[in-house]
Amino acid sequence: MSLAGFADKLGATVRRDLLTAVRHRTGFLMTAAGALAEVAAFYYLARAVGPGFRPEGSDYFPFLLVGTGFYTFLVMGINSFLTIVQEAQQTGTLEVLMTTSTPPAALLVFSAVSAFAGNTAQLIFYFGAGFLLFRSPLGQANLLGGAIVFALSLAIAASLGILAAALQLAIQKGSVLVWLLGSGAWFMTGTLFPVASLPRPLRVLAGMIPITYSLDGMRLCLLQGADFPALFHSISVLFLFAATLLPASLAVFSSTLRRARLEGTLSFY
Amino acid sequence: MDTVVLESVSKIFRHRPALFNWLGQERGGRTRALDNVSLRVSPGEVLVLLGPNGSGKTTVLKLISTVLLPEEGRVLVEGSDTRHQANRVRKHVGFAVASERSFFPRLTARENLEFFAALDDVPRVSRAAMIDRMLKQTGLSDAADSLVMKFSSGMQQRLGIARALLKTPSVILLDEPTRSLDPGSATRFWRLVRDMKERGSTVLLATHSFNEAAAVADIVAVLHQGALAGSLPVRNTTTVENLRSFYFDTTGDADESIGIWAGSCA
Repeated sequence: MSLAGFADKLGATVRRDLLTAVRHRTGFLMTAAGALAEVAAFYYLARAVGPGFRPEGSDYFPFLLVGTGFYTFLVMGINSFLTIVQEAQQTGTLEVLMTTSTPPAALLVFSAVSAFAGNTAQLIFYFGAGFLLFRSPLGQANLLGGAIVFALSLAIAASLGILAAALQLAIQKGSVLVWLLGSGAWFMTGTLFPVASLPRPLRVLAGMIPITYSLDGMRLCLLQGADFPALFHSISVLFLFAATLLPASLAVFSSTLRRARLEGTLSFY
Repeated sequence: MDTVVLESVSKIFRHRPALFNWLGQERGGRTRALDNVSLRVSPGEVLVLLGPNGSGKTTVLKLISTVLLPEEGRVLVEGSDTRHQANRVRKHVGFAVASERSFFPRLTARENLEFFAALDDVPRVSRAAMIDRMLKQTGLSDAADSLVMKFSSGMQQRLGIARALLKTPSVILLDEPTRSLDPGSATRFWRLVRDMKERGSTVLLATHSFNEAAAVADIVAVLHQGALAGSLPVRNTTTVENLRSFYFDTTGDADESIGIWAGSCA
């Protein structure tokens, strides 16, 4: 596929999603209102806890803001892969999309990039509301380090999303993976409180979840302005997760897609 | 070279009952949807697939479109194998599916076609003109900027046909394309199929309508219980009655309409 063809198809996908989003008028406004309400809730929670609680050397509100904002961004990104497949199954477009000249893996990537673009806009809104509206100190942020952590976390979220999409095709229950991350694992990743407060067995489990390192790295960059030697551990672990999960998830997706075409279950949901 | 070739193709669907099947009564086992079917369609030919419900017509079309893969045998489109060269096959095939629900409901007809045109590599410079032409040919120009969620079944079906033709494919697959169309639209559609044939496209059309088969077919193939029961070249002299007799003789089903018409005339 040429670069122009890639840009054309990506543009068409982003336009489709944008048009669909703005035509769900209330949904669009409610998302923004929901994000504002969440930021406000965390601000007052941090005030109620008091200034004495300084997890990992930061004020509690920015700790919460980065943790919940980035965690939500990653889980929504993972969920978007699942939603893409589920909606295509429900609207009957999946089989038709599979007959277009664009390979299925590319279709998934276009839709996911489009979804991540929307989620990034929400993340910026969330951080913006927290840092500007509630005057949370940003400090001397290491923006380059933050961009690297962001990109690696994005690759990991995409891999987990592709796995969720593959599960949806295979057993029509991709939501299991999203539930595990969204409900089962969130408290272990250091979203609301430091991982160090957990008992040892749970700390070991937390070390196996890539999002733990994403939140850790992002807080180091944005709240403490950590330099690259201090970021080395987070970045190298994230890199290893991304390098392993991305090819593995693509192989699993390709295999489940082939199986669904063989069994005629592509549009089952 | 034949445009579409099915060589000894078999397709099996497996049914795996859910856990705790004692709560309900879901059937397990296998369904042989196609059994050793061989077909060849030449360039510019219109092949009409007839057959009772569940005879394997849609399965044949889905196998050619790469949505399904064969269990045994192989399917070739323009010389490419659907199993190993699916991306190449998809560039040649346009598929109007039977289900009306195959669009993004909150996009307009034009926006839907623009999206699919991009995915199908329709050149940007000619895209708008191509979409206008397809909308006109399918009688949807006036509804081009309405949301698809407000479309009737017939309109969605016509939009599906427009989408299948957008990339000017060499192979066009039409699954019960006039099922929801009014008689006037159906007749206009048959003219469109004959135009496709004159432009050199190969058309495979699944239908239950003998009128449709007589209007557009070069060859009629009858599927029965997943097997190719027979085929008949259609000539200018072939009538709807000829096709009806051939169908019922081939499938062995009783033509109950004879009794109904005889009764009504008596």
